[in-house]
Amino acid sequence: MEARTCAPARTPGAGSGEIAVSHASVGMYDRDGKPLRLVEDCSFRAERGLFTVLIGPSGCGKTTLMNLIAGYIGADRGAVKLDGVDVKGPGWDRLMVFQETALFPWMTTLENVAYGPMVRGIKTMPQIRAEAGALLERFGLGEFKNRYPRELSGGMQRRGELARALINDPLVLLMDEPFRGLDAMTRQLMQEYLTHLFEETRTTTIFVTSEIDEAIFLADRLVVLSRAPARVAAVIEVDLPRPRRFEQLSSARYAALKEEALNLLYAEAAAAFAETGAGADIKEAFEKRHAAD
Amino acid sequence: MKSLASTAAAPPANAVERGTPLASGIKTHLNRHFDLVVGAITLIAFFLAWQFARPLGIPGLSAVEPPTRVVAASWDLLSSATFWTACYKSALRILAGFALAQIIGVPIGLMMATNRMAFHTLFPITEILRPIPPVAWIPVAIIFWPTREMSTVFIVFLGAFWIVLLNTIGGASTIEESYKRAALSLGSSRWHLFRYIVLPATMPSIVTGMVVGMGISWEMVVAAEMIASDTGLGYLLWQSFEINAGAQVIVCMLAIGIAGFVSSALISRVGRLLTPWQGRR
Repeated sequence: MEARTCAPARTPGAGSGEIAVSHASVGMYDRDGKPLRLVEDCSFRAERGLFTVLIGPSGCGKTTLMNLIAGYIGADRGAVKLDGVDVKGPGWDRLMVFQETALFPWMTTLENVAYGPMVRGIKTMPQIRAEAGALLERFGLGEFKNRYPRELSGGMQRRGELARALINDPLVLLMDEPFRGLDAMTRQLMQEYLTHLFEETRTTTIFVTSEIDEAIFLADRLVVLSRAPARVAAVIEVDLPRPRRFEQLSSARYAALKEEALNLLYAEAAAAFAETGAGADIKEAFEKRHAAD
Repeated sequence: MKSLASTAAAPPANAVERGTPLASGIKTHLNRHFDLVVGAITLIAFFLAWQFARPLGIPGLSAVEPPTRVVAASWDLLSSATFWTACYKSALRILAGFALAQIIGVPIGLMMATNRMAFHTLFPITEILRPIPPVAWIPVAIIFWPTREMSTVFIVFLGAFWIVLLNTIGGASTIEESYKRAALSLGSSRWHLFRYIVLPATMPSIVTGMVVGMGISWEMVVAAEMIASDTGLGYLLWQSFEINAGAQVIVCMLAIGIAGFVSSALISRVGRLLTPWQGRR
């Protein structure tokens, strides 16, 4: 594949960062003023140049954990470090791609992509515009650079958002269920696209999902989170070879990995369901799967 | 020839053949322009009722000058300098009051929405003053401002001000968190956040405030001119009533309506220019 046009060529993953979450706890108060524990003594590492996927029962605190890494919220205890330095607030070194698109509706696709370099004032505007244009061209959005986000399809919006993050050459890419709400076909195409992009750039990525197939297809390392409050239940190394292809989803190794992850998830979901009634979706999906076997 | 409408209604094929081409042509035409036809019938009925209200003895309407007289009166009025001066004066007052409402209302609204201190300082006083109808301010405005002109502009300003303020506060305080977060992550300073996120995200609400505010401005200018001024369309309307020039009253009413319509259309145009990312409303 060709070298990145948006950044000086570099060894894959070399300029990328490493996130270490150590003994992090986050709590908040619910509407009645009762304390809620969202993340409890959670530790894991997202290693340089690896694709780390966080998966867990719904409502387990995945998004809270991502907000913590992005710096939108602070930890009550414990720490988040980027390359050994404490994370203090949001920054362009850790860029987030959101659940529903957060492309600014009032800016054209080009203006959206140019936004990061523009506010940081690192280059002249003509340089930034040329770079953003080239990046959009590469992302297959060349014809849409002067369109507003609402004129783009869901898949195009996600690609635009990826471009808006990657033009800044972030050390870590944070993706919080970025493909939620896309139709099945587009979702699969986006997974394939993201895999290609990652294999080419090797930017450290932390990706949150509740879809097991998506998780294994994308991941180098699968961090299975417990029921709320989020702790790490297990870490599964996904040793499927790269480059990834969808055909690997029918391999024996894939099936074994999926079984292992599903068993862990099921145990957490069942326990959560017994405790609070949450996580019923995963439990139901699991039972349906086994009924079919 | 099979017509579009009859195909849509899907009658048996021979039914279409039986209709004469002319009859089916008219039918198609009526079907296609149903909305226009119904609207035109209502309008014609209204004008007929108005014109012949006196011979027919329709209560209420028979007290009003018939359309033919109004047309004659409008000819006289439209060729007089008085009328155009009145239009000009009213338009100037609208422009001044409306512009002031934007210039003062939008920044205060943005400040109240983005700064808690500003909100808690200003909210109680706005809640006390806001429910008072602007018309009720006319006597105070006359006493307070040195000239009648200023009083009139002040009333127009008040009419637009509250709606502009409320819309700005509403728009700026309901901006989606993910936009702000994305902007912060990408390296925005406080100024960038305001200039590129808060301001454009609030713009659609500001435009809504402008459109509604323009309507209220015309209401206010007419009321204020009737009471506190000796020029303008509102004054001319009241004066026509006082000298018992019934047809001229109607002409003034229509002129005010047209002026309001034109200014609303202008504001909508400005609004589309300010929010080009939004679809046509």
